[in-house]
Amino acid sequence: MSGLIQVLNNSLLSQDAVIKATFYPTAFLTIFFAFLVVMSRSIFHSVIYLAFTLIGIAGIYLYLDAEFLAIVQVLIYVGAIVTLFIFTIMLTTQADTEPIRGTVRRMWAGALAGFAIFLILSKVITMTTWHIGLPEAAFVNLRELGRSLMSKYALPFEVISLISLAALVGVIVIGRGRKR
Amino acid sequence: MIPQSHFLILSALLFSIGVFGILTRKNAIGILMSIELILNAANINLITFGKFLGSPDGLGQIFALFVIAIAAASAVVGLGLVISIYRNAKTILVNKLNLMKW
Repeated sequence: MSGLIQVLNNSLLSQDAVIKATFYPTAFLTIFFAFLVVMSRSIFHSVIYLAFTLIGIAGIYLYLDAEFLAIVQVLIYVGAIVTLFIFTIMLTTQADTEPIRGTVRRMWAGALAGFAIFLILSKVITMTTWHIGLPEAAFVNLRELGRSLMSKYALPFEVISLISLAALVGVIVIGRGRKR
Repeated sequence: MIPQSHFLILSALLFSIGVFGILTRKNAIGILMSIELILNAANINLITFGKFLGSPDGLGQIFALFVIAIAAASAVVGLGLVISIYRNAKTILVNKLNLMKW
């Protein structure tokens, strides 16, 4: 982001205006693609829209000064998880696939539940007065992130590796099928 | 500067879209995709608070990293289960999977 901002500083537009003018389209596109993920009739289209949604969220991370997280998001989600989804869809979905969508009643129930949750959350968010902490310390660079990951949060980091190992072994056992 | 509440509203929208997807999808893979959306909404929240409350050692981003790692593990196990279910029941539509239903 900082290199981009450097370039923009020399241009006529102010930095703040550029950030505002690009953030809201990004957010809108992310929401739009997320909506398409749940509304699309074909599960394969849905997974493509999911990839676009995840890229949009990586863009949102850039506005939060989390460049490393944005790269990790694209690498792990778009690179690995979406690929995994596509392979699973190809392995499991038949050609004469049945309609994905449930009944109209279930659709309305889901829409009502989602809308109610959004109303409650947005009400709470707008009612609360948010305290802004130290604006200078808010920027976390990658060196700092790696240092605290290896010192202060080393134990959770190792637990994550244990979880990955458990997932690896578990999915091999599940996916192997019955022994003949 | 974009205010904190706009990020939180964005994350709330993503979360409710994910809830809608979980409740209406019949395909098990679609449900897993909605779960990924919800986890991403949680991630946006974590990073937003990490930035605006200013924890000195990047706690928000570190938690978001952990959430990404666990989401990857859960997606792997979930998709393995889907393949195993398909092998046994020849369908992944959750309304057809009544094998253990009384």
